[in-house]
Amino acid sequence: MSDVRPDEVSDILRRQLAGFEKEVDIYDVGTVLQIGDGVARVYGLSRALMSELVEFPHGVFGMVLNLEEDNVGCILFGESSKISEGDTVRRTGRVASMPVGDAMLGRVVNPLGQPIDGRGPVPTDTLAPIERKALGVIQRQPVKEPLQTGIKAVDGMIPIGRGQRELIIGDRQTGKTAIALDTIINQKFTHTAEAKKQGINPVYCIYVAVGQKSSTVAQVVDKLQQEGAMEYTTVIAATATDPAPMQFIAPYSGAALGEFFRDSRRHALVVYDDLTKQAQAYRQVSLLLRRPPGREAYPGDIFYLHSRLLERASKLSDELGGGSLTALPVIETQAGDVSAYIPTNVISITDGQIYLEPGMFNSGNRPAINVGISVSRVGGHAQIKAMKKVAGSLRIGLAQYRELEAFAKFGSDLDKSTLAQLKRGSHLVELLKQGQFVPMPVEKQVVALFAGTFGYLDEVPLEQVARYERELLEVMDLRHADILAAIAATKDIAPDVAEKLKEILKQFTDSFRASVKA
Amino acid sequence: MKNLRVARRYAQALMESADAAKTVDATGRDLASIAAVLAGSRELRLLAASPVVRPVRKEAVFRELFGARVGKGTMQFLALVIARQREAHLGEIAEQFALLRDAKQGVVGVDVASAVALSAPQQEELTRALGRATGKTVRLRLTVDTAIRGGLVVRVGDTVLDASVRRQLELLKARFVQGGPSTN
Repeated sequence: MSDVRPDEVSDILRRQLAGFEKEVDIYDVGTVLQIGDGVARVYGLSRALMSELVEFPHGVFGMVLNLEEDNVGCILFGESSKISEGDTVRRTGRVASMPVGDAMLGRVVNPLGQPIDGRGPVPTDTLAPIERKALGVIQRQPVKEPLQTGIKAVDGMIPIGRGQRELIIGDRQTGKTAIALDTIINQKFTHTAEAKKQGINPVYCIYVAVGQKSSTVAQVVDKLQQEGAMEYTTVIAATATDPAPMQFIAPYSGAALGEFFRDSRRHALVVYDDLTKQAQAYRQVSLLLRRPPGREAYPGDIFYLHSRLLERASKLSDELGGGSLTALPVIETQAGDVSAYIPTNVISITDGQIYLEPGMFNSGNRPAINVGISVSRVGGHAQIKAMKKVAGSLRIGLAQYRELEAFAKFGSDLDKSTLAQLKRGSHLVELLKQGQFVPMPVEKQVVALFAGTFGYLDEVPLEQVARYERELLEVMDLRHADILAAIAATKDIAPDVAEKLKEILKQFTDSFRASVKA
Repeated sequence: MKNLRVARRYAQALMESADAAKTVDATGRDLASIAAVLAGSRELRLLAASPVVRPVRKEAVFRELFGARVGKGTMQFLALVIARQREAHLGEIAEQFALLRDAKQGVVGVDVASAVALSAPQQEELTRALGRATGKTVRLRLTVDTAIRGGLVVRVGDTVLDASVRRQLELLKARFVQGGPSTN
């Protein structure tokens, strides 16, 4: 690099600063009347817009949430202790927005898009308003592509499609976040060249943490980094230490970022973890703004709070590029009470739910999905044919098993067909167990479930099912990769492939049983 | 917290009755003098704000103080305000009344802060320019604020026209500091 002369520097500075001298800055102001608990009432600001950003002294920003006769109610995104009565508030003229762009991938940001991972500014040049009206009917099309979670029980029986809203609901400590994280990790495959060959488009992920412990969020980020999932993931964190207004807007920021990917013909997945805490944060600011309380002290528009958020999940029509935004909201129940206010609201908004039970979790059935009451209302159309063929009888088998389970205690008095159903059911339950952070490619799921639903597993001792599955998949990988490849490529089990698979399974099961006896 | 809703309603009511009696200017002067006395006397303010003193006694005090100095309508209004126990808001009512009167007469109050005192010709020119811009009669309220370092800060209602050197420096800083909060 050639030397820069000092006079050159001053010349450039002078040019950069030219035009500054005569500028008159015009802005609207108001005065703080009352401040505290993360909300402020401001006199003046008579032309402020709904959900406009306003600037308080000391770089604290706020958002207009109440427009009243003689004052404006604002929520604050910073420390309210720095602000005092009589301070000047300035309008910014723009509604609360989130910077969006590919540079957001791999970063941890707060709901205003400011980085909190200590890795410097995020270079983006687009701002998207966090509140946006959801798309109408014309712009959408039915969900048709699968979003593979990598979890056998979900992909088999509660399939999720791209553009769907599937609720993950359950008590604390039942593995709700685990399912969401596994789903994010499983999207790694969609970013590979192999996926491209199979016509699978990449899915970009956004994990929105609302009201969680900072340590939990750090753990999640760490895990995603270890698994190499951060490359296509953004974490938006409003932890328990952040002010309630931040927690309230976090899911909307996530949706705004997801819409950026969707509108640029790509596919995005947003996990809202969890909406119970967001509802509580909204309840807090609503009550502080003196909005009337309703059921469980939630404000009257609490349903709209969630419906307008989840309605933004969508599958775009082909004219608009066919992008999608899938939402996985998480709701925490108290002692399994799904008929509480917020759970019933969100259940009715979403396209199905994955229900997790503490009882199953504690008895070792993990993931603890109760497949009896978990449903997916639209994902079935998106399931690949191969999975439909093997999973069709899976649901029925399990339902019959649950019905007969009560009789299982009587043991010998049962007839042959009942015993067979019980045996099949218990083996299927065993087969659906899966560890955390080990999502499984769909073709392997198909092979494993094939073995289960076509009865190859029935004669294997229950405690050996996990080993059977592991070794079967090893054998498939090593010696019959062509079968796996055929299933992955055609997304179907062609009759000749089915014949071959049956042959392989027969041989493998025989040798496995021999090894168990020995 | 100021209770502006109350003040505005009383001011509006007084404006309507004064308008009907064609005593808007006199009433405005009366209210301004009452507000000035209130602002100047801590004792009177405490009396007005005290819930312990009975309204009858308060009215007697106010009547003795202002009975001879203000118009009949204003005195009646004072009695009403005291009877309704809103006497603590008298200062705000006077402010709101002045605003209403200005709006009615097409006058706009403009706060102008400058780093050095403005000369008479400068003031005249500023009044003319602001009058053209707002389309109203401008009443200047001048203050000298050395903290703005130079230039002018003009406030019309909620809108600030900031041509101060301080603001220019702030904007300059924002432009240089990358990732800093945007100020516009």
